Amino acid sequence: MHESQTAEFPVFEVFVQKESLGFHINVGSLRAASPELALQLAREIFFRRETAYNVWVVPQDCIFSSPHDEAHLPVEGMDKRYRLPGGYDNATHWKRFKAKAMTIEEVAKDIRS
Amino acid sequence: MEDTGRMAAFMARIESGEKIEATDWMPEEYRNLLIKQIHMHGISEIMGAYPEKEWVPKAPTIRRKLALNAKVQDEIGHGQMLLRLAEDLSRPYGRGREELMDDVLDGRIKFHNVFHMEAPTWADAGVIGFLVDGGAIITQAMLLDSSYAPYARMLKRIVAEESFHMQHGEAVVLALAEGNQAQREMLQGAINRWWAPMMFFFGPTQMGKSAEAMMGYRIRTKTNEELRQKFINRYVPRIRALGMTIPDAELRLDPATQEWHYSQPDWELYNAMVRNNTGPRSQARLALRRQAHVDQRWVREAMNAAAQRIANQGSERQSAM
Repeated sequence: MHESQTAEFPVFEVFVQKESLGFHINVGSLRAASPELALQLAREIFFRRETAYNVWVVPQDCIFSSPHDEAHLPVEGMDKRYRLPGGYDNATHWKRFKAKAMTIEEVAKDIRS
Repeated sequence: MEDTGRMAAFMARIESGEKIEATDWMPEEYRNLLIKQIHMHGISEIMGAYPEKEWVPKAPTIRRKLALNAKVQDEIGHGQMLLRLAEDLSRPYGRGREELMDDVLDGRIKFHNVFHMEAPTWADAGVIGFLVDGGAIITQAMLLDSSYAPYARMLKRIVAEESFHMQHGEAVVLALAEGNQAQREMLQGAINRWWAPMMFFFGPTQMGKSAEAMMGYRIRTKTNEELRQKFINRYVPRIRALGMTIPDAELRLDPATQEWHYSQPDWELYNAMVRNNTGPRSQARLALRRQAHVDQRWVREAMNAAAQRIANQGSERQSAM
């Protein structure tokens, strides 16, 4: 009788956002009786030293995850350089027109200055 | 009053450079301005896929076809990410994805003037990447500093992907500029078509009430004219380096102020175009969006019904156990 009442606490996955412009990252999991207690325990277990901007605790059975095989995951199946800025050699062409290639980092820096 | 105190605390947070989250208290005006901005941005990403999509089957090489297709996928992805933010903000008004998309079809939300225009040649596909994405990158780089944290975070991802759009657009333009007479003429023709729409793209020098209010709340941090000047300053030398001309006899840099003078675009024409969807391709592209959103609504409904049935079967099994 007594045994059936001490069921295991549910598992919560813990996600931390380090700064306001960062994304939440999974750091591990813990057991707790409620989401409130899970948040409190997350501080004890994961953030004794580190600071955080925000913490999420998510019941583990709410997570639907992919299997670890190629059919279900984005993999390097083919050459995808055409999707990347590095896949274009514009600098040599701009040089031919006596102009310089430009990067998005440079534009962003100029706009935000 | 309590609201006055909350408002003062909110403005103090913004002025100290703090970021606002979706779950924070915010004045209704701030929420409404964010919805207006992010909804329009998300919808423009989606409508922006249409002029480029027209060129996927007609791209000159397989590599160009793959790249252009990748870009179309990016635009639709950006639209989805941005619409999610607009949906979170619209929750107090009980409006979700279906309503936000209906707004485009019913003419309640505008999208950028450039996506109402025709893209008649392959050079247009290149110049869209070169100048339209170039202009969008300037606007989006500013939005990286937005006071609304979910928007600023999402913009980080979007701007990183736009980096490929920029290089892709330039690669197409450079190949044409290095080509034969016909290719160079095609490029010049596309630049002639897109220059004036790009001058309109950044909005009037005298900003409207909403744009002014967005500056106050630091949803945006630069004026329309500041952004347009950055664009002209960056692209005029590049276009001229290619041996191309800019279709504006008034264009000149004032040596004293370092400001560019330019001809005013036809404000009346483009304003009417975005307000009434009367551009050369507005209705054709809206028809494609209607096909996806309205004609295929039954598919979304069927998927919801199927998921519901599977969930019910699961709970029946559980209660039987």
